[in-house]
Amino acid sequence: MVDFVWNVRSPLQQAVVPGRAGAIVAFSGVKLAEIRDFDLVQIFARRGQREATAKAVKKHYGVEAPAPRQAVFGKGATLIWSGPDQVMALSARKPGTFRPLDAMRESFESIASLSDQSDGRCLIRMSGPQVRSMMAKLTSVDLHDSVFPVGAAATTSIDHAAVNLWRSENSEDGSPVFNVLVFSSFADSIWHTIVDAAAEYGIEIETRPAASS
Amino acid sequence: MASQQMNRLAAGGLIDRTTPLSFTFDGKAMTGYAGDTLASALVANGVKLVGRSFKYHRPRGILTASSEEPNALVELRSGARREANTRATTTELYDGLDALSQNRWPSLGFDVMAVNSLLSPIFVAGFYYKTFMWPAKFWEKIYEPAIRRAAGLGRTSGVADPDHYDKAWAHCDVLIVGSGPAGLAAALAAGGAGARVILTEEDPLVGGRLNSDGGEIDTIPAAEWADAALGELRSMRNVRVITRTAVFGVYDGGTYGALERINDHVPVPAKHQVRQRLWRIVAKRCILAAGATERPIVFPGNDVPGVMMASAVRTYIERFAAVPGKRLALFTNNDDGWKTAETALRAGVEITAVIDARKNVPAHCRALAENGDFALYSGNVAGVRGGKAGISQVEIAMADGRRATVSADTLAMSGGWNPSVGLASHHRGRPKWQAEIAAFVPDGCPPGMTVAGAANGELSLGACLRSGHEAGASAAMDCGHAAARYTAPAATDESVAIAPLWHVEGKQKAFVDFQHDVTASDVALAQREGFESVEHLKRYTTLGMATDQGKTSNVTGLAIMAQLSGRSIPQTGTTIYRPPQVPVAIGAFAGHHRDENFHATRLTPSHHWATERGAVFVDTGLWKRAQWYPLPGEKDWLESVTREVLAVRNGVGFCDVSTLGKIDVMGKDAGVFLDRVYINAFSSLGVGKARYGLMLREDGIVMDDGTTSRLAEDHYYLTTTTAKAGPVMQHLEFCRQVLWPELDVQLTSCTDQWATFSIAGPNTRDLLREIVDPAEDLSNEDFPFMGVREVQLRGGMVARLFRISFSGEMAFEISVLARYGDALARNLMIAGKPFGVTPYGTEALGVMRIEKGHVAGPELNGTTTAGDLGLDKMMSKKKDFVGRVMAGREALVAPNRQVVVGFKPLDKARRLRSGAHVIPRGAPIGPETDHGYVTSVCYSPIVGQWIGLGLVERGRERMGEIVRAHDPLRDEDYEVEICNPCFYDPEGGRQRG
Repeated sequence: MVDFVWNVRSPLQQAVVPGRAGAIVAFSGVKLAEIRDFDLVQIFARRGQREATAKAVKKHYGVEAPAPRQAVFGKGATLIWSGPDQVMALSARKPGTFRPLDAMRESFESIASLSDQSDGRCLIRMSGPQVRSMMAKLTSVDLHDSVFPVGAAATTSIDHAAVNLWRSENSEDGSPVFNVLVFSSFADSIWHTIVDAAAEYGIEIETRPAASS
Repeated sequence: MASQQMNRLAAGGLIDRTTPLSFTFDGKAMTGYAGDTLASALVANGVKLVGRSFKYHRPRGILTASSEEPNALVELRSGARREANTRATTTELYDGLDALSQNRWPSLGFDVMAVNSLLSPIFVAGFYYKTFMWPAKFWEKIYEPAIRRAAGLGRTSGVADPDHYDKAWAHCDVLIVGSGPAGLAAALAAGGAGARVILTEEDPLVGGRLNSDGGEIDTIPAAEWADAALGELRSMRNVRVITRTAVFGVYDGGTYGALERINDHVPVPAKHQVRQRLWRIVAKRCILAAGATERPIVFPGNDVPGVMMASAVRTYIERFAAVPGKRLALFTNNDDGWKTAETALRAGVEITAVIDARKNVPAHCRALAENGDFALYSGNVAGVRGGKAGISQVEIAMADGRRATVSADTLAMSGGWNPSVGLASHHRGRPKWQAEIAAFVPDGCPPGMTVAGAANGELSLGACLRSGHEAGASAAMDCGHAAARYTAPAATDESVAIAPLWHVEGKQKAFVDFQHDVTASDVALAQREGFESVEHLKRYTTLGMATDQGKTSNVTGLAIMAQLSGRSIPQTGTTIYRPPQVPVAIGAFAGHHRDENFHATRLTPSHHWATERGAVFVDTGLWKRAQWYPLPGEKDWLESVTREVLAVRNGVGFCDVSTLGKIDVMGKDAGVFLDRVYINAFSSLGVGKARYGLMLREDGIVMDDGTTSRLAEDHYYLTTTTAKAGPVMQHLEFCRQVLWPELDVQLTSCTDQWATFSIAGPNTRDLLREIVDPAEDLSNEDFPFMGVREVQLRGGMVARLFRISFSGEMAFEISVLARYGDALARNLMIAGKPFGVTPYGTEALGVMRIEKGHVAGPELNGTTTAGDLGLDKMMSKKKDFVGRVMAGREALVAPNRQVVVGFKPLDKARRLRSGAHVIPRGAPIGPETDHGYVTSVCYSPIVGQWIGLGLVERGRERMGEIVRAHDPLRDEDYEVEICNPCFYDPEGGRQRG
């Protein structure tokens, strides 16, 4: 009897090559990271249960549920508004686990529907001094500080594929940090589009587990 | 090195004399300086003749110094980068630039096609339409190619563009188009008030005419003021200045198209750099400060090299320190033209005459002539002498009837200024006539736009600055920024008086549109032949077409038409202005989306595994799907596909079906919701069961099908076809949000969450027993047909197992989290090794579904009803559902509808083709005897011949009938038998195992 091995493979396994890419410059204008090993659950309030869901979110995650077009950062999870009555809960995955709903069922029983999207999306984080110039090629969303501050979120599209976009705390170099969740099947293609857009600024690429990001 | 530049002034100009550049024109080596355009470098090198005209191959020189240039079009670069019709006036000089003149053979100096000019009496407007009418079949093969060789502009490279382009979005409060005095004043006011400003400038330098016309602003020389203003703007974090960027279109919702020519001024863009970038700028307000374009006067010989716009002469002298000639004559009808005389005098150019067409030349102009010691003629230019080497003499018809001839190598002309109203008119605005300046000005703008400065007919420097400042401050205020830090910059209001002059009659050709060789007599011919409307005039004569879009010719042409037709200019009106305002390369519109990036692609979780196995992929929508997996030695696809089918039918195989749409349908009303969207019931489905479902569109036609499983009381898992996943999700959301908002239903796409394989064949269970935990019971009793449940896999994995079959074989679908999809494919190969497991692609899948008579995309083609597909028994009579009522319409239930049947060619060796029409035997071919068509075909290894499915009128009553399959597309006609669409195991015993 053979032993079956279940290796995890990211949709970006082939596309993401850590290191420098694009133009050769002293300081990379854009930093790209594929964030791996996260759990992602869509929390979708049942009919008439919006307030109850918001309360359940607060109880479960210890932060207020995000307002429309906002993301909030709790201790264990980032909560991203993703549509009317909908929130995405993003958290680091405990190694080897694959049932993120189990720990949530009790909190949301008959209040919200839960859908595991941990494998349905890839998470790409973009920063660096030229990140806005690069993002201008990818999204029609205005990312100016006055319009899209830290904690802003948008459901929009890149290359005609739906994405969730939000801004987290500025990076150490002071540049803004943008996160996009892309559908896994599109990830390879969108990654190449992103790298194309960033190439002229010089790119630093890495992968990192959600737990250490 | 610089000694070559015989027409370069010793000092002055906004050029960098420390950076000399080498270039060639028609192979001749020349030099220029950084800051030159190709045109200014040619002027500095004394080049007069730069091209041949479109139709008559007349020698032409440089007319302007800006983007409206009609004449000086060159082929730039070589090889794949060869670029036709590049305007020398906007091409920045770079070291090693290689330019060729166009539209001449064998050489620019001696062009055999110049004979066209001698034949010019027949090359008039409408010439092609009149001359090459007969015989009609000659047009495509003989006339058109010949005309295209003789006429036309430059040559394209004919190979793919090696450079990259991209597209980007920008957002601002205030977009300012143009950085002349009005644009700079507007930017300072709006930026100073704190508004987010984008200032675009087509040129590499900001300043517009400030760099060419001298003058003082706030007591500082104008060009220096422009430089200081730029410094100030660059220091503002809320202001972005983008040079080399032309706004080319005004679109809806305050969106503007602009083209940034990032690397047109270098030979080859640096690695990873783009050549050009297309901007979509979203602005709350826009200030059009695009200035004005000086217009030529239509006089005999006005196209001879050496005749140049007066403002261009100033630009070459002031900005580029290059004098177009040594002896200058000036022909003007306005005060502004006289500025050229001042500039020329300062540069030490000899002025041989100023010809002023006005009856009364203003005193300050007369004084200038006296002080400058040059002749002033009141009258018109009646003709010029000279040829390809340039003009030599100017003939003058004086107002008092006398004639005179003066010697000159350059004739500057000024017919007044046309405000650049194009962008203001992109939403069908019609400009209005302003008599004081004898020009059109904008009359109403697209929402959010205001016009400032010369573009609004405010031609003096002082007025430009004031109106720009006011527009900037008020646009900022509109965006919520009140306190402007600046006051309007001040300058004098110089006189711009004009007496309109459009056309001077004479024997020589007088050109209206230089680029398309349209003369004043062509306009007259159009009028005589009834093409009086400006839109007809444009189409008949081609006036105002081509790369310059008539920037120097439109207004003059319509003014001449107005004179001829006895109407006023406002009555005659302008043609419609449409984007693009300046030429835009198609590559810029495509941006990143070319070649393999033409559109996004979707890959399944095991894509790379399939690639390793050498799979051939097919595009299914955006997806790449494995079509078949060729083995070494197989000679064609059919051999591979047949092997895969037989392997499944006789053993076991698996196929990646991760591309099927998957939707979590949740909430306490999920069952009710599905009852309403499917024709059959789902609320009655037990947990742990799957059911085939069919949904209709509101109009009663079939929309999509698939299996839906109930995973929990309040959780269904719905699948769609690959092609319809998006539209079905959209449809369901519409139902949920709009039709039945009262239902407690939540929908989420989980297509990408799961990797799914269909495992099929008599040995399916054997394979599964290898990989599924031994504790799981897969027997018919414990896991019956259409059962669903989660199972443990060996090695610590869980999977969802669905006992459903599309192939007609004993089959399961197995799903794991997408991150394990690659591992699952590899593990299925290991588990199935003892049974000869064979991965199969979409072709084999298709063969098996056709053999089984299952309908798919070709049958669910937007014309078929459930009844047509033989599925009308599924339509529940106990409930309402989307499409129920409309599906009952007379035509949709008519007995003669085309319904799904099977086909077999009588000749077993015959390849059946989809698309063939079904015609009764012995009937003539025509629409009235067309009884249907073949929708899906395959070679069936089971039946041993090509078979197919199709739609045939009253098909179910016609089993066994022999009909013709008529295929005019492939010129085939053969006999086929109509048969039951299920060719394989009609009782279904195999799939129930």
